[in-house]
Formats: sequence, structure tokens, C-alpha cells
Amino acid sequence: MPSSSALPLDPLTRRTALRAAGAGALLLGTGGGLAGCRSAVNAEEGSAGPKRGGTLTIAINQDFTPALLFTQTGQSLQNRLIYNTLIRYDDDLEPQPELATSWEYAPDGKSITLKLRDDVTYHDGRKFTADDVVFAVENLRKPERSAQLAATAKAVTGFEKRGDHELVVKLAHPVSNLFDLFEFMIITDRHSVEDAVKGKKLNGTGPFRFKRWRPGTGLSLARNEKYWKPDRPYLDAVELRVYTQPDALLSALRSGQAQLSYHVSGKHLATLKSSSGFTIKQYDTGNGAVYVGATLDEAPADSKAFRQAIAWAVDRDRVVDQALGGYGLASAAPWPKSSPAYSEANRTHYTHDPGKARELLKSSGVPTSRTLPLGHPTTPLHTAIAEIVQYDLQQIGIKTELQPFDPASFQKKLISGTMPTLWVNGHGFAQVQPATLAVSAYPFNEARNTSHFRSAEYTEAVQDAWRQKDADGAKAHARYQKISDLLLDEAFIIDLAVQDSVQVAAEKLRGPALTKFSYLNLDDAHLV
Amino acid sequence: MRGYLLKRIPSALLVLLLASFLIFAILRLVPGDAAEVLAGPDAGPESVAAIRGQLGLDEPLLAQYASWIGDLVRGDLGPSYAIGGQVADLIGDGLGATAELTLGALFFTVTLGLLFGVLGAASRRRPVRVVVHALTTGALAVPPFVTGVLLVLVFAVGLSVLPSGGRVGLLEAPDLELQYLLLPSLCLALPSAAVLGRYLKDSLERAFAEDYIRTATAAGVPRRRLLWRHALPNALPPVVTLLGMQTGQLLGGAVLVEAIFAWPGLGQLAEQALNRRDYPVVQDLLLLLVAVFVLVQLLTDVVYAALDPRIRWE
Repeated sequence: MPSSSALPLDPLTRRTALRAAGAGALLLGTGGGLAGCRSAVNAEEGSAGPKRGGTLTIAINQDFTPALLFTQTGQSLQNRLIYNTLIRYDDDLEPQPELATSWEYAPDGKSITLKLRDDVTYHDGRKFTADDVVFAVENLRKPERSAQLAATAKAVTGFEKRGDHELVVKLAHPVSNLFDLFEFMIITDRHSVEDAVKGKKLNGTGPFRFKRWRPGTGLSLARNEKYWKPDRPYLDAVELRVYTQPDALLSALRSGQAQLSYHVSGKHLATLKSSSGFTIKQYDTGNGAVYVGATLDEAPADSKAFRQAIAWAVDRDRVVDQALGGYGLASAAPWPKSSPAYSEANRTHYTHDPGKARELLKSSGVPTSRTLPLGHPTTPLHTAIAEIVQYDLQQIGIKTELQPFDPASFQKKLISGTMPTLWVNGHGFAQVQPATLAVSAYPFNEARNTSHFRSAEYTEAVQDAWRQKDADGAKAHARYQKISDLLLDEAFIIDLAVQDSVQVAAEKLRGPALTKFSYLNLDDAHLV
Repeated sequence: MRGYLLKRIPSALLVLLLASFLIFAILRLVPGDAAEVLAGPDAGPESVAAIRGQLGLDEPLLAQYASWIGDLVRGDLGPSYAIGGQVADLIGDGLGATAELTLGALFFTVTLGLLFGVLGAASRRRPVRVVVHALTTGALAVPPFVTGVLLVLVFAVGLSVLPSGGRVGLLEAPDLELQYLLLPSLCLALPSAAVLGRYLKDSLERAFAEDYIRTATAAGVPRRRLLWRHALPNALPPVVTLLGMQTGQLLGGAVLVEAIFAWPGLGQLAEQALNRRDYPVVQDLLLLLVAVFVLVQLLTDVVYAALDPRIRWE
């Protein structure tokens, strides 16, 4: 057996060992060896000036998907960077001018006259006109665009152009969420839209020009020098960088490689909260809500008492604390606080009361001996919520078996209505006009939903709330309350918590803002 | 020889054809398709049907298969369904990124492996050998997802001297790219370097025990010369064989490291494509892997036949 001391080699003693160690350190210090060149870390920070200039890097958890440009997804940040919308909502859901400078509803609510900005050009130099708005509405109606606001776009029956910058939009009937459409609908270049959905050319009127999209890496945008807002934007460039792993995303922020993210997971938010160098901002307008769904044509979920028992059984505060990292609002109703349909009574309609849940099950005589499947997507958030729900249901005698599905399989089941008896998921569209939830979010759709819930009363309430000119006021609120009452009573979707959008920004970044549809607005953003 | 090669090619093509059929069929058995993914969570059946029609997913399966193979034969990989862009570009970019990462890791594997091996075998200082042993044990025992996180915490978050993840492209900014490459390639290389180092150490120790080393020592050959000129060249051949095998492992391990460091290589592409049911990307990627395997087998057979005439005559 050879021994390592078989050959005493003097040169390989301490001196050589030190040399070798030095060589190893040199390898590790190659980054430092390249210090004469630019630093990849500093390059990310950009040449930040006090107000103007600099590159902002945003850490995103999923890549831009060109084919989903017109669909609201978990990552739509780029939409308000490259494009504009007709209006923007303020915090009170009051529309404010963007590409439309003013608007006037016809008294019968069957048309609206829009006056458009006449000083707007696309990034390629073409002038923005009313034809672009006509195209945008018609584009959203196409089924292949899969836009959630398609129902509202389909209520538009015609257009009347009055010159290049005035447009009358005619409607089949008044719709209370017309301004949701105007906030949702990005105004793309009609001549290059097919290139846009392939990720080749994204030509808009927004504050940043499309430079390049590298699949798996992200989007590169540069300042639009001819932006219609004077002296905006401040930033020279924006990079959206993909970090699919939550840990990698957190590291990008903590190392200063990225300065902004809306995709930090709940458990990591606690880490960042306690470390300096970041500001964390909550948008209580909501980032959707998490819920337990029930398939009504399968026993025992066909029993209203059974569904209501589930609504009483789940500890919503625990869902907020443990799964959402504390950034959310425990709520039995889907509405965030900024919604016209929000009320404290709706929010606390069901609270954590296992005794009441057991009593309800006992009095209704619903059998609970069978172990029920509880489906959920394999994402960490939904898995955590499903585990909490499973535990809480076990406390009232309902046994469940978790059924994890990868996101694509889950989506197939969701939109084809083949979910197991119970499932956990998230929904959007409660943050805008309440009618949008019931006509655009599939779980709540009165005509066709995953739960197979049908009710003439619900249909009437939804259509009544939708086919109105006024979205606000006492009558509108009464109509929204009717929808809330039905949702809470029928409990085919059992809301658990409204999720906040959480913005994590480096301290030196000022001014980023999200629209109601989670498009990122960086018009006023700057690095200090 | 040519005749032998001609005999082998049809069977290779047959393997490729069968593999393509299996890949196509298995993917279609997985629930969900690209149209359902692209339609989004609030889509109705009309949206799914429209997208399915656009992608050609409403055609009979055999027609879809024939269209895919036909396009492949013409050298046209076509567009991606769900990720976006052209499949050839996606695979080309991913391949480039993974190759770059693997080459970077190979560099560290060789360098650190030599360092570990030589120090472990030739140093007469026990503390040095103990340290080397501990380092190689640690590199072998700690999985890359832990090493990766530690490297990021130290060099990116703590010292802020290297980026935590991502890639800029070697041709666009070579100086930045090297900095992006450093941590993932080191993370990927450490277990292989430890294996290589230990193997080299054993190999060197065996060489040191040989008579010719003893004779050379007696003849007064300087000890450093003994190591570099005599022992190491004789110890290296089996190590080189091992390095070949380790290179294959580096390619496989790259998938995990890519995720930790947001490195947009083939592993990331495959995961993304599979999650979105992007059939063309997954199909072409898998078939590419099969094709590489078949080609290597074919080349191996040819080399064997060249070395052993009996095989050609069979």
C-alpha cells in the first residue's frame, strides 16, 4: 500500500503548500483579477445619478411570455413600460387621463366619447391615432388573445371616428367596468402586433423602448427619448431579469444586482424586512386572493351546509401569517379594501369557528366518512395553503388527501371544469370594478365556472351589476352587496385571504408604482 | 470499413426514428397542452380551441408527427409554442450557455483536481494533507445546491465582488461574462474536482512506489523534477479517462446549478418548456440528446472496428 509519505519532496513542503493555496485564492479571486474591467455587480447598479439616468434591474420569477401579452398573468410588469393604456385608476378607482385626455358618457350609457392625446408617437415614430384604439378593442375580442376583459370588449358594437384624435365607442348596453377595460387594454402598434406576440418587436408608446428579449434571461428596455410626458422617464434603461428560484431572486436583491421585485416569496419577505437597505411597500389593492373551490356536482360538496362548514373551519389568519408572510388580509369575501364592494361585514362573514363548522355538519347530516381529494398547484404558496386547509378540515372531521398538480395540469383541470371535489388556488380581478370579477374571472363566472355552479339569481345579480353605466353610488353598492351575499351564502368559492402586492425596492430607488392590473409604472422612478 | 459504416447507419437511423415516435407519444400522454397553458387561467373553450387551431394541435396526431419529422428533415425546427421565438435559437442559446458553464467547470475541475491530487500525494506535511483531505471530503459530501447558496452568500451578498446569478453573453461583454461564470462553474466543479483530486492522489502514490522513481531518486534527480517529469505523467492517463466520465456528469449536474444561479442553459430551457407543454422545444431537445448518444455509439463502433478487423468481417 503506497503511503503519501513515500516520497519526501522538499519543494512541496510549507512553501509549496502556501503557493498552492495562493493559486487557489487566485482562482477564486479571478473576479477581483478582472477588477481592472467593469464589475458585473456594479454594472447592474448602473451609472446612477442623483435624479436622471441609471439602469434599473428588476428581478422577476417568470419570463415574459409574448403569446400572453394580452392576458393578465402573474408577470405583466412590462406592459406599462413599453405600452400605455387609455386611462389609469387612482387609489379610489377614479379614472385619470393617460392616452385619453377626457371622456364623456352618453346619458343612456350606450356610448362614450374619448378625446385622445395628439402628441403621442410610437417608438418607431408613427403617430398614435383613434385607429389604434379601434384596433386595440377589436384585438382583445379575438379568442386567441385570451384576454380576461374580452367580455367587456365584446360589448363594444361599433366606433365613430371624429378626426384622428376623437373617438365614439358604441356599446350594446351600458357596462359598469368599461374603465377597467381602458386600464387593462394596452395600446399596441396594429402593424406589428403579430411580431409582438412572437417577442420579435414590441412597438408601443410607453416610456421605454423594447431593445431585446432573451428567453430565459429577460427583457432589456431603453429610455424612449420621445415620450409624451415631458422630461420622463428619468431612468436610462430597465432590465427585467428572470430568477425562477426564490432563493436566487432573494440573492439578486440582497447582493444589489437587482433593485426591485414584486415576486419575493412570503417566507423571504420576513428576511428582507429585518435587513437594512430595502423598502417594502404593500399594495392593499390586492394581488388577487386565495380560495378553496368546491365542485358542486360531486357529493358532499353539493351540499351548501358542507361548503359553509368549510368556510367556518379554515383559520384565515394562519393562512395570512404562515403562507403569505403576513402580507394579506384574512377575508371571507374576495374584495380588497379598495373595492367598492368591500365591507367589514363581508370580510368577517366567516371566521375561524370549528365548533360552528362541526355543528353545521352535524345538523345537515352530510356524511364525512369518505376521504376527499384536495387539489392544488405544486407552487410553494398553494402547497402551504392546502396543508393548512387539510389540517383545519381534519379538525372538524373532514378527511382530505392532497393532490398536487403541476401548473399546466392544474390549469387544464381548472378551465375544463374537471377539478377534484375540493381544490386550493388563487384568483384575480377583485381589485377593480366588482362586475369584472363575475364576468372575467373564471371561478366566479356566472355563465360557466369551474365549480359547475348555476343559479338564475346569481346570473341576474351579476348581469344587473354589469349592465350599468354607474359603477359607484348607493344603487351600485346595493347591487354589489347582492353579489357578495350570494357568493358568501352559496360558498362555491370559499375565499380565504386577499393577497397584497408587495414591492421590495432598494432604498436608493424612488417612485415605482403598480397599476391595478400589476403593470409597472416607472414614469417617475429614479435612482438617488 | 465503408461497408461496415454503411451497415451501421440504417440501425442508427431506426433508433432515432423509434425514439422520435416515443418522445412524441409520451409527451402527448402528459395532461395539458400548450393551448391550455397559453389560454391562461380564465379562458373559455373558444379561446383554447382558437389557440389549438393556431398551433395545429387540432390536427390528427399522426399528421402532427409527420409534420414535425418533415420539418426536422428539412432542417426547420420551427417556432416555439409557448416560450416564444424559434426553437433553433432557443436550443442554440441554451446549448451555448450550458457548454460555457461546463467548460468553465471543466477548467476548475482540472485545476483544483491537480492541486488536490498533487498536494495530497506529494506534500510531506501532515497538516497540508489533512486540509486537502478535509476539503475534498467536504466538496464530495456537500451537494451543489448547498455549495451554490454558500458561494452566493459569501461572494455576492457578503463581499459583493461577484454577481449572484444571470448571464450577459460571452461575445457581448466577455469581462462581465467571466464574472457571471465564476461562481456557477466553481459550484459545479467542486465535487468533480474532489473525485479527480483523490484519484490523482492515489495514482501518484502508486507511481511514487514504483522502482523507476526509487532509481531516479538514487541517481540524484531533483525531487521537483521527479514529480513533474516522471511521476505525474505516469499517473495522469487513468485520471484523464476519469475526467472524460466526469465531463458527462458535469453536463448532467449543470441542470441543477443553472437553476441556482439563474443561468439560462439547456436545463432551464427544458424545465420551462416542459412546464408550458412547449412540444416542439421538448421534442427537439430530447431528440437531440438521443442523436448525440447514437452518434457517440456509432463512432465508438467505428473506432472498435478500425482497431479490430474481426469486427468488420463479422
